[in-house]
Amino acid sequence: MEVESSSSDEPRSIAVEKAIEVDIDPGNLLVSDSNEISRLQLNSNPAEYLKELTRSNTQLLINRIFTLPFHRVDDVIVAELPKPTYVLPRSKPAPKARPLSKWESYAKEKGIVKKKKSRLVWDEMVKKWVPRFGYRRAEAEHAKDWLIEVPQHADPYEDQFEKKSEEKSERVAKNELQRLRNLAKAKKVVVPAAKGLTSKVKQSKEELLTAAHTANKATASLGKFQPKVGKLKPLKGTGKKRQFEPLINNQEKAKNLSVLDKIMNKKPKIDVESVVSKSVGSGNLKRKGQGQDNYGDDEDGGQRRGGRRGKQMGTKNSKIKKGPAKKGSFKKGRASPRSGPKKKKN
Amino acid sequence: MGRKANWSEKPKSGPGRKARKQPAPSFPGMIGSGPGGGGGGISKHRKKKQFGGPGGKKRSSYPQNDGRKLKPGQPYRKSNESKKSSKPIDKKVTRNVRDASDSEEDEEEKQVMGSNSEGDEGMSDNEPTMETGSGSEDGSDDEAMQDDFSGSDGEAPDSGLEDGDQNGDGQKDEDKDDKLTKWHKLANINGSSDDADKIDFPEGQEPTFDVQVVVDRIKDVISTLLDFKTRREEGRSRSEYISLLTSDLCQYYGYNEYLMERIMQVFPLGELQDALDAADAPRPMTIRTNTLKCRRRELAQALIARGVNLDPVGKWSKVGLVVYSSQVPVGATPEYLAGHYMIQGAASFLPVMALGPQENERILDMCAAPGGKSTHIAALMKNTGTLLANEFNKDRAKALIGNFHRMGVKNSVICSYDGRKLPEVMKGFDRVLLDAPCSGSGVISKDSSTKTQRDAIDIQRTNTKQKELIMAAIDCLDATSQTGGYLVYSTCSILPEENEEVVALALRKRNVKLVPTGLDFGTPGFVNFQGKRFHPTMNLTRRFYPHSHNMDGFFVAKFKKFSNSNPVVKVDDEEEEEAEGSGEQE
Amino acid sequence: MRPLTEEETRLFFEKLAKYIGENIKVLIDRPDGPFCFRLHKERVYYVSEEIMKKAGNISRDNLVCLGTCLGKFTKTKKFRLHITALDYMAPYAQAKMWLKPNAEQQFLYGHNVMKSGLGRISENTVKYSGVVVYSMNDIPLGFGTAAKSTTECRHTDPGTIVCFHQADIGEYIRSEDTLT
Repeated sequence: MEVESSSSDEPRSIAVEKAIEVDIDPGNLLVSDSNEISRLQLNSNPAEYLKELTRSNTQLLINRIFTLPFHRVDDVIVAELPKPTYVLPRSKPAPKARPLSKWESYAKEKGIVKKKKSRLVWDEMVKKWVPRFGYRRAEAEHAKDWLIEVPQHADPYEDQFEKKSEEKSERVAKNELQRLRNLAKAKKVVVPAAKGLTSKVKQSKEELLTAAHTANKATASLGKFQPKVGKLKPLKGTGKKRQFEPLINNQEKAKNLSVLDKIMNKKPKIDVESVVSKSVGSGNLKRKGQGQDNYGDDEDGGQRRGGRRGKQMGTKNSKIKKGPAKKGSFKKGRASPRSGPKKKKN
Repeated sequence: MGRKANWSEKPKSGPGRKARKQPAPSFPGMIGSGPGGGGGGISKHRKKKQFGGPGGKKRSSYPQNDGRKLKPGQPYRKSNESKKSSKPIDKKVTRNVRDASDSEEDEEEKQVMGSNSEGDEGMSDNEPTMETGSGSEDGSDDEAMQDDFSGSDGEAPDSGLEDGDQNGDGQKDEDKDDKLTKWHKLANINGSSDDADKIDFPEGQEPTFDVQVVVDRIKDVISTLLDFKTRREEGRSRSEYISLLTSDLCQYYGYNEYLMERIMQVFPLGELQDALDAADAPRPMTIRTNTLKCRRRELAQALIARGVNLDPVGKWSKVGLVVYSSQVPVGATPEYLAGHYMIQGAASFLPVMALGPQENERILDMCAAPGGKSTHIAALMKNTGTLLANEFNKDRAKALIGNFHRMGVKNSVICSYDGRKLPEVMKGFDRVLLDAPCSGSGVISKDSSTKTQRDAIDIQRTNTKQKELIMAAIDCLDATSQTGGYLVYSTCSILPEENEEVVALALRKRNVKLVPTGLDFGTPGFVNFQGKRFHPTMNLTRRFYPHSHNMDGFFVAKFKKFSNSNPVVKVDDEEEEEAEGSGEQE
Repeated sequence: MRPLTEEETRLFFEKLAKYIGENIKVLIDRPDGPFCFRLHKERVYYVSEEIMKKAGNISRDNLVCLGTCLGKFTKTKKFRLHITALDYMAPYAQAKMWLKPNAEQQFLYGHNVMKSGLGRISENTVKYSGVVVYSMNDIPLGFGTAAKSTTECRHTDPGTIVCFHQADIGEYIRSEDTLT
């Protein structure tokens, strides 16, 4: 780029003419020129034209600077820039609001509003106005607990003072835990769950079980080398996720057929009803007490094979029961005429 | 079987048998000398109607909000005879509902039928019916009019009216005299000395509550508008007449202004009243045989054995049956439950017939519930190929399941997507049917709340949805399919904004063209409407009207996609020049 | 949508076999193309494989129904056949019953079948087996369980129930919701 020496030129006037007033922001040292750019000049002689423009605008800026209040600092004249008016856009995205904590979101949902509490509270026992929190509260409390009554059903050897201070420390710890949890949630930090281990007063069976499992696992090798502590029942809901066959399955037909075969094999193949009805039709079966002449009728001996008690075939209890005869169906010692002498199923 | 139901043609019927019984009465003191005189444009019969004779036509007052003139179940185009025979069925109701203008309608009808040819398909001409008909048929008018006040004998058994009340408005004849004087007064108010058909423009905003006045005014205005130059009143512009007509029609039929304006734009004036009357009356019930399970003949025999009175629907369909009456509920017979038929409106057959599904194709139905059309498609596909039935509303999709299983459809998949998102799910269909959700202006008989509830915002919303859906439907099509690439767009509406405009948009924005629907009856769609010019092939689409085709108002358009790519949106000419110009400068 | 596990297939087949017995083979192994059973939202659907593949595109929430629904698994993993399976049971039924016209109405309302309404019954119907119920015109009306075997049917008095109602086509109107 050629640098034109300004010394060769005559000093030009500081007056600048502009069609529209330029907007000067001295705080940022910014000049915004909204005059129209002449396309003609831009196309014909861009470098010159732009240089002219820049020069005139800079001149205006410098004119403005000289109008600002100044003061001397070590032989140097310094002009005080006012506050910038032009807002520069953010270079980084704006930070997001902090997410509501667990209590805050609950309160919002339920519509609970914080009520301002007064600092001083009238205390009957001490007959004084006692601060509810802050400076000198502990003092007031001490004044009260020079004596703690042992409640009726409590253990007489229990130290009530100890108990009180223990409760306080537990409350403090709980609050701290919740604060940290809220913080972790806001920062999206993954905190491993201590299932069941955070003590509650009464824990259910499942919670105790979970706590036992968690405690078992909470070693450096994740519970692999832990000695067995009695019978640790397995947890429900954990374990491997069920695997299903893929949607398009070539073996499906074969599988289905094999399942079908298994089912079909279970069912008795002989159709007892058909045989019975045939026999009934053919009139071979004699009525009760008329003799036992019905053995030869079956073509395949299926009647015998299937079971002793014809009545029980085809009912819901199709499984043939071994064992004693149906009670009360016939007199003891006397064989049922249909079945003849009892034959044990081989 | 019984009388065939003729969907396209209706036989003309002249004046009824009873009409010819007595000669015309002469009222020497009345008609000739009354207001209106013998001259003027108004016909003699018109005057008779207005001013009547002794015991002439009564203008019974009946509840204001009952815009219905016809009995439910009566098809609109009816001959006099059938009307007479229908009276005994429902005496009490007809007496209240039916009014003097009913027989007026009859006469007008006669004239219409007399002057028009049987061309129900082409409702192209608006023949001024009043004038041509009236002159020739004065005699018959008189005869018809006599039904109302003739002597007791011949009429009573057939007409089923009480003694002393011969014209069926529930009032004894003695009261007629009082009414007569009232009519004289009305007549005086209505007309000045010379011009009988001077229409009384209500200056104020109050609507007239006398329905007869409204009815007459409607007729007068229509007849005036049809022959505007000769009949117009000085100083009244056409738009004033039209606005008066609109408000009267709204009042009489129970529509809101917006919808009535639209309807008036669609129908020519001569048909307007026919169309409005027909829209109110329900269409006959039709059923479609499920060809997957039985044949029409066997089904018809089985149903007749159960006591259903039916007929084949016409030569345009091989599976349709129209049910006239039934002793058993048609929707609960064992044949229905076994899926042998489906109750469907006749108009619903048309989009599927236009679509022409074939075996082993992939077909999509975008708004499938309750499933009449989808099951029809499956039947035509003979359970081969794939049918994807989509319905956005999950509850209606359940109805789809029931119907599909009942009808024995095995090749279907039912899903519940927003139709506009379907192209993302699956593409490459051979045929697509889009029975778009619409304002329902064609099926007013099924839901009369449409008359009052539809306004511009409603229609705008459904319109946007229809446009998006048709774009999505076209995107789902496969142009390279061997057998297809067809889309059928149908609505149960008669408004061109929901029909022709949507079709025009599709033609502009996608590579589709209109093809003949294959339906040989039906009115062609509008190529020009209200100054808007649509694509010249718009006449390949088909419109169906209740009054001309005796089925619900319907619109069917069939597209073929010829390229899978989308057309580039054209740049404006000015923009092009500018771009070029700036390029040159640099 | 997923295929059935072995256990589910077994339960399902056992139920179905009560009505059509060995003919399940015909359903599994069809001459006109491979059909398959798929489970979606605890319902078993019977559909041809090509259609099933196409339906694989549809997400679980949006898929409503696939081919023919044969029945569903209850919460306690028992299988219940629906009336929608009738189309596949009727041609392959092993035990059939035909009802007289007056008894049709009763059955279609969900009542059991009395002997007085029984027109015909197929031979060798085992007691408590599954039967498919037809009208005298051979229209399948539904299915049920035989309360009496064929021989017993002959000898009982007309007032006794011969068939317990399980499902009938009247359910298409009576209980459309359960079909879902």
